[in-house]
Amino acid sequence: MNIKKDIVMRLRFVFLLILLFAGGIIWRIVQLQNIEGEKWRKASSLRYVSERTIEAVRGNIYADDGSLLATSLPKYRLGFDPLVSLSDKNRRIFDDGIEELCKKLSNFYGDKDWKDYYSMINLARHEKDRYILLNNSLIDFQDVKMMKKWPIFKEGKYKGGVVFEKVNVRYNPFGKMGFRTIGYKKDKEKVGIENSFDSQLAGVPGKGIFEKIGQGSFRPIDGGEEAIPIPGLDIHTTINVNIQDVAESSLLRALKRSGADKGCVVVMEVATGEIKAMTNLTRMRDTSNYAETYNHAVLGLTDPGSVFKLASMVALMEEWNLSNEELVETGDGKMKIGDKILEDSKTTGYGTITAQSVFEHSSNVGTAKLMLKYFGKGNEKKYYKKLHDFHLDQRLNFQLRPDAIPRISPPKKGDITGLPWNSIGYGMLLTPLQMLTFYNAIANDGKWIQPIIVKETRVADKVEDDFKLKQEVDENPICSEETLKKVRKMLEGVVERGTASNIKNDLYKIAGKTGTSQKLINGKYRKGMYYTSFIGYFPADAPKYSCVVAIDNPRGVKKEALFASDASAPVFKEIADKIYACDIQMHKLLAKDANGGVKLTSQKQIAHTSDIKAINEEFGIERKPSNEGWSVMQAENGKVHYEEHSNPKNKVPDLRGMSLRDALYVLENKGFKVSYSGFGKVKSQSIPPGVFAAKNRTIGLVLN
Amino acid sequence: MVTNWLKSNLKGDHQIWTIVAALSMISIIVVSSASGKLAVMASGGIFYHIFKHIILVSLGLGSMWFFHRLDYHRFAMYSNAGVILSFALLIYAYKFEQGINHANRWIHVGGLTFMPSDLAKLSLITNLAAMLAKRQHVSYTFNEILPMIVKIILVCSAIALTNVSTSLLLFTTCFLLMFFGRVPSQYLLLALAGIFITATLLVMTGTGSRIETARNRVINFASGLKGTKKKDASQTSDYQIERSFYAIANGGVLGKGPGKSQQRYFLTESESDFIYAIIIEEWGMIGGVFVLGLYLWFLYRGMKAVDSSGRAFGGLLSAGLTFSLVIQAMVHMGVATGLGPVTGQNLPLLSMGGSSLLFTGAMVGIIIAVSRDKVNNPIL
Repeated sequence: MNIKKDIVMRLRFVFLLILLFAGGIIWRIVQLQNIEGEKWRKASSLRYVSERTIEAVRGNIYADDGSLLATSLPKYRLGFDPLVSLSDKNRRIFDDGIEELCKKLSNFYGDKDWKDYYSMINLARHEKDRYILLNNSLIDFQDVKMMKKWPIFKEGKYKGGVVFEKVNVRYNPFGKMGFRTIGYKKDKEKVGIENSFDSQLAGVPGKGIFEKIGQGSFRPIDGGEEAIPIPGLDIHTTINVNIQDVAESSLLRALKRSGADKGCVVVMEVATGEIKAMTNLTRMRDTSNYAETYNHAVLGLTDPGSVFKLASMVALMEEWNLSNEELVETGDGKMKIGDKILEDSKTTGYGTITAQSVFEHSSNVGTAKLMLKYFGKGNEKKYYKKLHDFHLDQRLNFQLRPDAIPRISPPKKGDITGLPWNSIGYGMLLTPLQMLTFYNAIANDGKWIQPIIVKETRVADKVEDDFKLKQEVDENPICSEETLKKVRKMLEGVVERGTASNIKNDLYKIAGKTGTSQKLINGKYRKGMYYTSFIGYFPADAPKYSCVVAIDNPRGVKKEALFASDASAPVFKEIADKIYACDIQMHKLLAKDANGGVKLTSQKQIAHTSDIKAINEEFGIERKPSNEGWSVMQAENGKVHYEEHSNPKNKVPDLRGMSLRDALYVLENKGFKVSYSGFGKVKSQSIPPGVFAAKNRTIGLVLN
Repeated sequence: MVTNWLKSNLKGDHQIWTIVAALSMISIIVVSSASGKLAVMASGGIFYHIFKHIILVSLGLGSMWFFHRLDYHRFAMYSNAGVILSFALLIYAYKFEQGINHANRWIHVGGLTFMPSDLAKLSLITNLAAMLAKRQHVSYTFNEILPMIVKIILVCSAIALTNVSTSLLLFTTCFLLMFFGRVPSQYLLLALAGIFITATLLVMTGTGSRIETARNRVINFASGLKGTKKKDASQTSDYQIERSFYAIANGGVLGKGPGKSQQRYFLTESESDFIYAIIIEEWGMIGGVFVLGLYLWFLYRGMKAVDSSGRAFGGLLSAGLTFSLVIQAMVHMGVATGLGPVTGQNLPLLSMGGSSLLFTGAMVGIIIAVSRDKVNNPIL
């Protein structure tokens, strides 16, 4: 046979075999797709991947000094992939560690016996589940780090099968402080800054590939991110943590004392319109507890009451040049207008008094008389035009949504009660924040400025959106300088001699106005139920902060306790006091006593040399200690002596004459635990000097 | 213009060029989809892997073009040295290289990786074809056959140390080549006995890093056939095979469409060892049969080259290389459809790969070179 033909025949033979095999492949495809198709498709439908969104990290909310008000913390849920433990290699890891692991789990979560965990995991292995949740509670990263050292878990995801499912949780480092103002986002309810700035905080979610691992649960596939989520912007607010804290605690105390229904405080920086604190407390139904559930300051539309008299006075001065000294007959404190009677709170009336006095004592009759004298007789429109100029009938477009729309409307034709009642703050709806903004304009030399609570949004340190640039400011002062001078005198008079004289103090001057209005319930004004407020600013001669305190329906035995002067004004003072104490810029400089020189105490003092040197420099004391470290300082006949203070290692030193701060430093460095009582310098110590120091011993100090 | 350029530059069997062009195009499309997963996992960006693959495919075609212009007869002279070199490299890789998944199959040269088994395959087939061609007009004697069988067994064992399935494939090809070369049946049996004894020795002594894996896979496959498989036997290969079946079953007749594969996320080697499953998932039975048809067509054209080649060396060389390539493809498709145990075999010319694409290109280039013969040397 021809050699070539032979070779070709052999080739063809093998070719046929391969064709046969190819036929087998096609047959298998047909078989897999049709005969077994249903089975495989069903199996694959249980385990599939799909594209899902990956939540972006929500931005942080910061206070004015950069401290965190709200942030997103990663938390974890502990899951387990039982399939991993089934392979030959990993089975030993599983068998060796499972009992100890279950005991650790039981110890950590404390919810189940270790045997329950054991049977739960083994059942899942038996069922060949791809994923089980070992515990639903959230753990933090420290726990995760610890768990990664546990048996089985320490082998990681692919050998041990441990899965830490990350969940972002919103966390407010200051707890409930400013809860409503900062806001929150729960299922359907969104409030506060978290709501109003939701779109900025939210960021842009990403996309990723997730594997379905069971009923409704998905697991991200490693590296399956398709679009990386863009984290949300950071919100920098104007909230000052200290002022917010003071406002909140003062208001809460006052509300608890008076058992009022609700209350709010807003503190605003006069020159900038920045809200430094905003707190709203509401009494929980049938309890004596208060919580932030509604933002009264922004949304609570009510009759403002007497605080509105400021607007009337400014209008009178601007339009008719009213003088503080103009005399008004208030008579017996009663006045009939149409079919209504207007009354003053002092039942006997104030007689004939000056306009200044009308304001100081918040005389309704006096105010109404002045109003009728000037704005009556067909001049009503001018009054409402002025209120419009004061921005009082316009919405604030405040950053927290929704925005309340104030309601002030001129009376209908023939309504003679409209004007006088409006002028004392009845028959209209305004929020505390709207009233505060007006008062702030007076404090800010007539310059009206929109309140803001969010300064800017940022990405890391880059400012994304500066809201200060968008802040509405009225270029034209709302009143003349002369009016300002007159009306400020009235506001100061309220605290000097008037309804709020109880908050007068020597350190700094407060200017403001009380407001006590009867509550409108079912269309009728009720006696005995009041809405009290105090709005003002301080220090009166160079206003730095303006503040509104509103307390709704305080209860008390005495009638006076229900009024603004007793309910709201003291809260204002408490807040103002603390802000004043903390803000050194507001303090008047103490004049240096030129003749007195430096007075020295004869007490023995122990202090660190560097501290002594710093103090001496400031006070101009020339003699300085020559040694380093701790020194004993004693003054005799107006001269200071220094001595080196011995502080031997391993021994208790003499602490008498040391400040607590220094004593703590010295003792804790030696390993002592310190307990102390009293204020001042250390007077006596429970372990005498020279005794050998033992670690973890407690030493008691008495300060004086 | 273009046709003229092609005619003057692409010599040899134009049908083979067409098949290769079609496979390269399919390769780029399918690998782009299958490596979608890789692309997002790597830091290099979405298109890094696709771009890299296109470059490699182009280099493979370049190597093909380069080899098809050479005089293949010269390879006969170098082939013996090639066999010795590749044997040394195989042992070196086994001893000194750190591999992926304990499979130290690669040698790293600079930033490139290179599989000595590819060189071994090419040189052993060429060498064998040369040796067999010399014997076509005289009958075989034991003394001449023995060196052949020893070479085959040595090289195959060296490959088996790190890659059992490639070793078996190469042995099958060599065996077929001896069959085509009309080696008498007693010597064929001798070769079979030789590889069987060597295999037994390797398994008994536990030499080689992948012997155990191969044994497990075969046992697993066999027990699957017998239906005696233990529930939790070797999860990993079962997992792969199951995913491959999911892919095929979900593909249907027309497929889900390009880029729609689900199983690529689960099949760890979706862009290489299981690309056929992905092709069927995305392009359906039609795509699967089309690709299978391309390989059969290729085999047919390779045989045609034998048919028309002037001398025995060319014919045997072309046959050996064609069968080596197509059998590998058949094994790949057989694994994906569950006809055989899991092996790590690529679909040649289609899968993603590095240096192997260059060697495959060289192999196809040589096949085309042989097909040019008929023009120069019409008849023996």
